[in-house]
Amino acid sequence: MFKVRFCFEKTETAAYISHLDLMKCLQRSFTRAGIPVRYSQGFNPHIEMSIVVPLSTGYESRCDLCDLDLVTDELPADFVDRLNAALPRGMRVLSAKQADRPVNQIAYCAYEIRFPAGDVAAMTALLTSPVKMEKKSKRGSREVDLLDYIKEITFESAGEKTVCRCILAAGNDPLNPMYLTKALKNAGFVPEDAAVHYVRTGILDENCQNFYN
Amino acid sequence: MNDKIRACLENVRKPARYTGGEYNAVYKEKSAVDLRFAFCFPDIYEIGMSHLGSKILYGMLNELEGVWCERAYAPFLDMEAEMRKRGQPLYALESGDPVGGFDILGFTLQYEMNYTGVLNMLDLAGVPLYSHQRTSLSPLVVAGGPCVYNAEPVADFFDIIMIGEGEEMWPELIALYRRAKREKMDKSAFLREAANIGGIYVPSLYDVTYRGDGTVAAITPQESAPPVVMKRVVKDLDKAYYPDRFIVPSTEIVFDRAMVELFRGCRRGCRFCQAGYTYRPIRAKKPETLEKQAKALIASTGWDEVSLTSLSSSDYPHLETLCESLVDYFEPMHVSLALPSLRADSFNLALVENVQKVRKSGLTFAPEAGTQRLRDVINKNLREEDLLEACRVAFAAGYNGVKLYFMMGLPTETDEDLLGISQIVRHVIATFREHGKNKSRGVRINVGISIFVPKAQTPFQWLGQISAQEAERRKQLLMDSLKIKNVTYSVHNYQTSFLEAVFARGDRRLAPVLERAWRLGCRLDGWDENFDFDAWMQAFRDCGVDPAFYANRQLGEDELLPWDHISSGVTKRYLFSELERARQGIATPDCKFSCRNCGALRLTGGGKCDV
Repeated sequence: MFKVRFCFEKTETAAYISHLDLMKCLQRSFTRAGIPVRYSQGFNPHIEMSIVVPLSTGYESRCDLCDLDLVTDELPADFVDRLNAALPRGMRVLSAKQADRPVNQIAYCAYEIRFPAGDVAAMTALLTSPVKMEKKSKRGSREVDLLDYIKEITFESAGEKTVCRCILAAGNDPLNPMYLTKALKNAGFVPEDAAVHYVRTGILDENCQNFYN
Repeated sequence: MNDKIRACLENVRKPARYTGGEYNAVYKEKSAVDLRFAFCFPDIYEIGMSHLGSKILYGMLNELEGVWCERAYAPFLDMEAEMRKRGQPLYALESGDPVGGFDILGFTLQYEMNYTGVLNMLDLAGVPLYSHQRTSLSPLVVAGGPCVYNAEPVADFFDIIMIGEGEEMWPELIALYRRAKREKMDKSAFLREAANIGGIYVPSLYDVTYRGDGTVAAITPQESAPPVVMKRVVKDLDKAYYPDRFIVPSTEIVFDRAMVELFRGCRRGCRFCQAGYTYRPIRAKKPETLEKQAKALIASTGWDEVSLTSLSSSDYPHLETLCESLVDYFEPMHVSLALPSLRADSFNLALVENVQKVRKSGLTFAPEAGTQRLRDVINKNLREEDLLEACRVAFAAGYNGVKLYFMMGLPTETDEDLLGISQIVRHVIATFREHGKNKSRGVRINVGISIFVPKAQTPFQWLGQISAQEAERRKQLLMDSLKIKNVTYSVHNYQTSFLEAVFARGDRRLAPVLERAWRLGCRLDGWDENFDFDAWMQAFRDCGVDPAFYANRQLGEDELLPWDHISSGVTKRYLFSELERARQGIATPDCKFSCRNCGALRLTGGGKCDV
C-alpha cells in the first residue's frame, strides 16, 4: 500500500464544487484515470481518501491537498498525467508524493481576496486595533478578536480592485477569510452586495513555510 | 463566467448547478461554429441532468460539424431573484453566453407542471413568449418530449414541436435551418418548409375553431401542412446514435449514474399509461450493443452505477444473460447495476440478488389497483398471487421491506377497490410474518398513492378525472384503512394532479392561462414549496376559463379532440376499442402473445415488435 498526497488547484467553475461533491468528483476521476485506489473493507466499500484542509464553496485554491490510499507499493510514474486527463474543468494536479508529514503540522493558510477598489490605507488602519466579531464553529458561536487569527495582512490597489493578501490561522481553530470581508463591509469599505473573490494560495506550517514541499 | 454571474453565485444555494464545467461537458471554439443551440430543460439542474433523452441529443448535436449545443436549466427561486436583480439574462452553462442570442432554443416537455418553466426561461432570456411575437429566424423556439402528444396548451409559444424521437429529425431540421439562413428565407417561409419534414409540427400552420359548447369544431391545416403529423421513430436502435460519454455532474443529481436503454415501447398496454402507447412500436437493442455501451459509459464517466432503463425492464428478453455478463465485468470494478421498473409477475430473485451484489437497494412493485376487477379494467395484468409470491421469495431471502405504488380515482373505481389496497398490504405483511428471514427486524411497507390523470393518446383520454370533493372522500377512506402497523403511506397532492389533468387534455385556449399564472408568480410548480394553487385558480378566473371543462369532463365519442391532428401511430379507433374493453372489464393480452394491430407498426414500415 502507498499513501499518496497530491496537490491540486481548483479554479473558475470548479471553485463552486462543495466539499462533499468534491470528494465524489475526485473519486470518479480516479476511476476514469484508472488509479489503483484502495477500497475499505466492510459492508459498503469506499475509497480511502481525504481532503486535507476543506475549503468553503466558491473559493478558488491553488493548493488543495488530497490524501489517498493506493494498492500499489509505490506511486505510479504517470499518476499526475493520468489524473489530469480525467478531471473536471478548472481542476489540475500539480504534483504528488508520499503522504509523510502529519496534517496536524498545518498552522496557517494564505489567501488572496479581491473586491472592488477601496481606501487601502483605511483598511490597513482598521486592522491595527482589535476587531471583535462573532465567530461560528462546530462548537457554537463566540466573540473573538480577528487580530488573534491574522498572522500577516496587506492591502494593495490593482486597478478596479483591491487585493488583500493574508495569512490566517488554520488547524484546530481556523479563521475563514469571509470574516475579514465582513469586517470590511461592516466598516463600510466594501459594498454589501459586491462580488468578493477568494483564492487560497498556500497551506503553511508553524514557520509559515509550505506544509507540502 | 463573468463577474455578474459570479456575484449571483455568492448568494445562492448549490451554486454548482449554475457553473457548467462538468467532466465531458462540450466546449467548442466559437469561431469554428455556425449554429448555437441551447438545450433548455424547464426544471432545475438536478432533474434535467437526470434525463436520458437530453444526454442523447446533447451528444448527437455536438457531433454535428459546426453545431455547438449547450445547456440551460430553470434556475431555482434564489438564483432567479439574483439574476433579475443584477440584470443577468439566462445563459448557457458551457459558454456563459446569453441564450437569447442563440440560433435555436430546444425545450423538452417532460411534464405539464413544467410549462410555466418554459415561459420563465424565455422571459429570463429576453425572448418574447409567443411565436407570433418573434419575427426573425432566430432564436427558433422548438419543443420535444412526451408532452407533445398533446402540446396544444403551449402550442402558441413554440415555432416548432417535434413529434417523436429526435435522432433523425434534428439533423434534417438543422440542415433546413442552415439553408434558410444562407438563402435569407423569412421565418414563415422556413416554417412552411419545415412542416414537410416528417414529425415536424408547426402549430401556427393550423387554425383551430371551437363550437358554442366549448368543444373543438375544426383543426384546419394551412396550405401544404399535413392534416395529421405522424410521430417519427428510429427503426433500428442498434444502429441509432447513442453517446459513449455522458456529462458527469459535479454535484449530486436525482439519477446520478450511467444509463443504457434496453428497449423503447412496452408490450403490456396498461390503459392509463401514456408512455405505453406513445413509445410504440417496441424496439429492443441487442445485448451486445448494450454491453458495449455500458462499458464505454463507465469508462468515460467513472460512475459506480449503471442503470438498465426501459418502461418494463423485466420484459427484456435477454435480461438474465445480459445482467450476468455485466455483473461479471463490473463487480470487480465496484460498479453496481440498477434495474428499475421490474414487474412482480416476472420477478426473478436470483437475478435481483446477482445484480445487487455490489450494493443492495429496495424492492418496488406497482400493482396500481386494489382488486383484480379494477386491474383488469386498467389492463395491469398482474395477479395478487404473483405479487405475494414475489414478496415471499424476497422476504425469504432476507428483504424486509417493499414499496408499493397504487393509483386512486381510476375509471370505474369503487370503495371496495380502494379498500382492496389495504387488503393487499395486509397480505404482504402476513407473507412476511410467515416467510420473512429476519422476522425480529420487522417489516416495512411503504405505500405511494397517486391520483389518476387521464392522458391524451391513451384509451382513457375520453374519461374525466374525479372531482376535488370525491378525491378528498376517497383519500380519507384510504388513509383510514392504511393505519396499519409497519405501514407508511403518502398520497399525491390532488391539486397538482388536477392541473396536470387540465393541461394533459387542454387546448390552445389555455395559453393565456399559463401566461397569467406565470405572471402571478407560478413557476417550478412541481415543487411543493412553490406551488400556489390559489394563484392558478385566479389565473383561470382572470382568463374566463373553467378548468373543470378540461379535467373532469367526459369527452364525447364523436368529439374532435384538440390533439387529433397529432398521431403516435396508434389509431384513435384502437384506443377506443381498448376503452370499450375496459368498460367491459376485459383485459387485453400482452403484445408478446398476439399483435392487435394498434397501428404503431406503420411507423417502421410493418414488420413486428421486438417482444
